[in-house]
Amino acid sequence: MFTGRREFFWKCLSVVFLSLCVITFFLGQVVKAETVKEVKIGNVLPLSGDIAPIGQVGKMAREMAVEEINAAGGIKSLGGAKLKMLYADSRGDPKIGATETEKLIVRDNVVVVTGCYQSTVTYAATAVAERYKVPFLVPVSVMDKITERGFKYTFRLAAKASWWARDQIRFIDAMGKKTGKKAKTLALIYENTDWGQSTAEGWRELAPKYGLKVVLDEPYPHAAPDLTPVVIKLKNSGADVALFVSYAADAILLTNTIAEMKVNCMAFIGSAGGHADPTYLKNTGENARYWFDVAEWESDIDPQSQEIAKKFYERYELHMPAEAVDVYAAMYVLANALERAASTDPEKIRDALAKTYITTGPAMVVPYEVIEFDESGQNPHASLVIVQIREVGGKLERVSVWPAAAAREGYEPIWPIPGWEQR
Amino acid sequence: MVIIQALINGVLMGGVYGLTALGLTLIFGVMKVINWAHGSFIMVGMFAGYWLWTLTGIDPYLGLIIIVPALFLLGYFVQDALIKPVFRSEVGVREPIGVLILTAGLWLFIDNFALLLFGPFYRTARTPYSGLTYDVGGLLISAPRLYAFIITIVAAYVLSTFLKKTRLGIAIRATGQDRDTASLMGIDVYRIYNIAFGIGIAITGLVGSLLVPFYYIHPQAGFVFDIRAFIIVVLGGLGSVPGALLGGLLIGLIESVGAQFIPATLTQGIIFAVFLGVLYLRPQGLFGFEKEW
Repeated sequence: MFTGRREFFWKCLSVVFLSLCVITFFLGQVVKAETVKEVKIGNVLPLSGDIAPIGQVGKMAREMAVEEINAAGGIKSLGGAKLKMLYADSRGDPKIGATETEKLIVRDNVVVVTGCYQSTVTYAATAVAERYKVPFLVPVSVMDKITERGFKYTFRLAAKASWWARDQIRFIDAMGKKTGKKAKTLALIYENTDWGQSTAEGWRELAPKYGLKVVLDEPYPHAAPDLTPVVIKLKNSGADVALFVSYAADAILLTNTIAEMKVNCMAFIGSAGGHADPTYLKNTGENARYWFDVAEWESDIDPQSQEIAKKFYERYELHMPAEAVDVYAAMYVLANALERAASTDPEKIRDALAKTYITTGPAMVVPYEVIEFDESGQNPHASLVIVQIREVGGKLERVSVWPAAAAREGYEPIWPIPGWEQR
Repeated sequence: MVIIQALINGVLMGGVYGLTALGLTLIFGVMKVINWAHGSFIMVGMFAGYWLWTLTGIDPYLGLIIIVPALFLLGYFVQDALIKPVFRSEVGVREPIGVLILTAGLWLFIDNFALLLFGPFYRTARTPYSGLTYDVGGLLISAPRLYAFIITIVAAYVLSTFLKKTRLGIAIRATGQDRDTASLMGIDVYRIYNIAFGIGIAITGLVGSLLVPFYYIHPQAGFVFDIRAFIIVVLGGLGSVPGALLGGLLIGLIESVGAQFIPATLTQGIIFAVFLGVLYLRPQGLFGFEKEW
């Protein structure tokens, strides 16, 4: 009798609970259909850990763009809905990045996700979004494979890693032809995660086609306490040009150690990332003079870019790195897609993103002719420039030098760079 | 030539690794406590050195006179105020893990507090020694690393003399050998713990400030050295002073010379392979200094 009564009580309770659930669900649906106050956007970034500085910069750029979009009236086709940013910390770990993405989608019901800066994290996180059929807009991660898995919900604004390698090698070739001082040998020095490995793969494949011989192929762990052994190896290899893929800490260590060990090459060429990190120049100073780097963007490209970079600098007291520009543009691409989707249904947002075609507006802060996505979700118009660290008005800064069309007026690449003894 | 260059670099870096391990091994030897917050204290030492140099311009090596005693006091009070109560409550417990968890908590707290305070940005101190190299017949020797190595040797010598010759040093060793007997002989064990922990932390302060002229400063920079320290301590034998130094040199040499023959990524693998091998075959450490002190 006692157990029976208890059972009855629980049954009643669950019936009440279930009906409450159903009612709230329908109420929720009704409310949703009537007004959309905000559009939730999930952002997975490395906000702590050794790559945190660039994660923070990503957050800053997002905030600046979203504030502008919201101040200008939000998404008009959704009754002026505001963009609401939710941030999750990937701690630079693909596993955490994937679970955080899942949490954002399932728990917070975000309608679109962006991130994650590091390729490995993005690779894992986009797979989660694909499973839940939520669009994932990738501003910067460069690993080729991200848009080569036949995914329908992944969109990438920036160039693929292999395109970076392609443009670096082309630059080396062009400089040889222009100055008559041809580089013959290459040293490849890259951090050993997906990003470095995939870039190096591109170099290795292209080098022979341009008559370049790889004399040193050196992956290194980016959290090593000492990188002097790698620098000794570079010096010993006698390579004409050294190519790097580094995060911030290792870029700083390598640059300073190369100066210390007086390694002379015709050129040192970075692959953005750590070399483009706003703290890089502060931590290397004179040692980084004449270093080349590849960039998607520099503030000296056009007046609109200069203005946005100035605003960013005034707001955060940091020079706007290329990563931040892609992120900033990505927010406008997103706003544009939401406007056309006129819905918070992830499926409709995906379709709108797939039909993106932007040639004007703040999103064009990127130096591409057009922003659109091909069938794989890749922006085929993404292009790159080569910058060199040069003195401008007594201060070292990044100056666009190649290709000639993108170069800052009055600046040409210095090739080969002067040896340490001649400085 | 290259190999000699790599050897020099390996020895110099190995000295720093050894010093890092020295603080850890001392604390373990005396207190039988693994200090998980070791790397965090190295980071505290780095920031102390960095700010002292940037704000006052005091020579980074002269600044050691301020930083080392300051970190000693910090360690002394951390042990006295935080660790001791946990220790006391676990006196009779067969497997005391409270202290272990406490130091792990300290590690997370200090690292994140520094992150909050200084932000996740990399900093480099431009001291007059930064980037300075001596050219010895074509071999380049980095000045700040050389000084760090010399100071390491001096510090290790002073420490081992202190432990062997002075009354306090003997009391510290006695406590490390047998806490209860030492206590019966009239040694105030908890005071000895305070001092031992203080010395251990003073050493991390020393390491931290020695790194300032040639390393970047970051709230998580200590962690990179922390992992090394644990490996070295096991290699050299837990609680052994000469073992820590030799272990440090060994790791430095593997890393530097090994990288000349195989990719740098693999040398890290070799270090861990050696670590596992030693743990498996000679858990008392490579050099058998177990009862040395």
